[in-house]
Amino acid sequence: MSEKKYSKDHEWIEIDNDIATIGITNHAQESLGDIVFVELPTIGKQVSSNDEVCVIESVKAASDIYTPIDGEIIEVNEKLNDNGALVNEDPENTAWIFKLKISEPSQFNDLMTLSEYQEFLKSEEK
Amino acid sequence: MPINYQKGILNEHLQVRESAGLFDVSHMGQILIPVDEKNIISLSKFIPLDFDKINFNRCYYSFLLNNNGGIIDDLIISKIQYKQKDFFYIVYNASRKKNDEEIFINHLNNYILLTNNSLIAIQGPNSEKIINFINESKNLFFMQTKTSNFLNKEIIISRTGYTGEDGFEISVPNDVSNQFIEILLKNSLIKLCGLGARDSLRIEAGLSLYGNELNEKITPIEANLTWSLHKSRLNDESLNGSKILTNQLNGKIKNLKVGLKSISRTMLRSNTKIYNIDKNQIGYISSGTFSPILGSSIGIGYINKSEINNKIYILIRNNWEELNIVSLPFIQNRYKRGG
Repeated sequence: MSEKKYSKDHEWIEIDNDIATIGITNHAQESLGDIVFVELPTIGKQVSSNDEVCVIESVKAASDIYTPIDGEIIEVNEKLNDNGALVNEDPENTAWIFKLKISEPSQFNDLMTLSEYQEFLKSEEK
Repeated sequence: MPINYQKGILNEHLQVRESAGLFDVSHMGQILIPVDEKNIISLSKFIPLDFDKINFNRCYYSFLLNNNGGIIDDLIISKIQYKQKDFFYIVYNASRKKNDEEIFINHLNNYILLTNNSLIAIQGPNSEKIINFINESKNLFFMQTKTSNFLNKEIIISRTGYTGEDGFEISVPNDVSNQFIEILLKNSLIKLCGLGARDSLRIEAGLSLYGNELNEKITPIEANLTWSLHKSRLNDESLNGSKILTNQLNGKIKNLKVGLKSISRTMLRSNTKIYNIDKNQIGYISSGTFSPILGSSIGIGYINKSEINNKIYILIRNNWEELNIVSLPFIQNRYKRGG
């Protein structure tokens, strides 16, 4: 049974046992606008929560993507190599960015549920 | 005008290249200056054009120059008959209104700031079809202008623009501008486009933007815009910076304006430093964007002339990335010339 949570940096993270799949939220892709390039992270790299792991370039700006949780990068979404625009089209599903083998499952509890994230978006607008 | 509407910058960019886009550029400055001897003398101090040779209903790309020949602003000037009187009509940058208008206020007589006129740009290969309800549009070629009427109000229609495409820019009194835009948007060939697409289109077309390629420390010659100067004026000491411009024309320019293309898929961004193979800075990127036509990031920059045949690099996130130098424009323009 997988569970999905959200970070304040507008990443989503879905956990299935000790594997986390991470991407950016629909809100994030909307504010970035046309995405032209995703610089994917390196497989095998150990990362800690809030590390910058990769970069998304849109026509408007370059944006760092952070990992919300510690772990080892075990897979990246190669589809994004040729088609960064997929992040605009399907950010929370087929345009996942990387997968982590997580080392600190308790960190997942610190992240927001969908309803908490929606509240957070409202508070950011103010 | 927003950065983009619903469908995004790249979609709007392609809309203009393939059909037509409507840009509301009413934020730009517009002024009418009566054609008289004193105004011509004043304009001749700042604008490097020979006013004796300016024809009616023709548009000229030019500049306001400072004492050093640096660019205070770039502009389009034409001579038109408006409400039965002869005027110079100048369209200038929104970002430079304060500087430009200070010059106009201090040096010109009886000018009219067209603050009650909107400026609507229609750009793209289908522009001609979309604007054909304005009769005068049919008799215009690129860089020509005429006054016409819309709902009994006088409008100024010019076959100009800043995207590299055929197109028109129309100055319409505010009280009829909504009706004007509504008629245009009823045509399914045209869609609203924003500032983002305006920028990526002008970069592809190799056109300079004030604040990026142009500023008070760069002369038109240094910006590779020598073609736009009326050379006879360079010997005229009454023109600001004429001596400096003459020296530059006869001598050497240190930097060249070049087109830049990303080899990897890194996005080129303005104000990025450019280096040679020895990691010495030799220039900078003045504009950068993504070209949906070429499928890669492109830009415009200035580099030291002596490095023009060498490899050049930018430092992006601690990686040295080579850039290609290419000639401008990236996309051939499709202006309707003639007449």
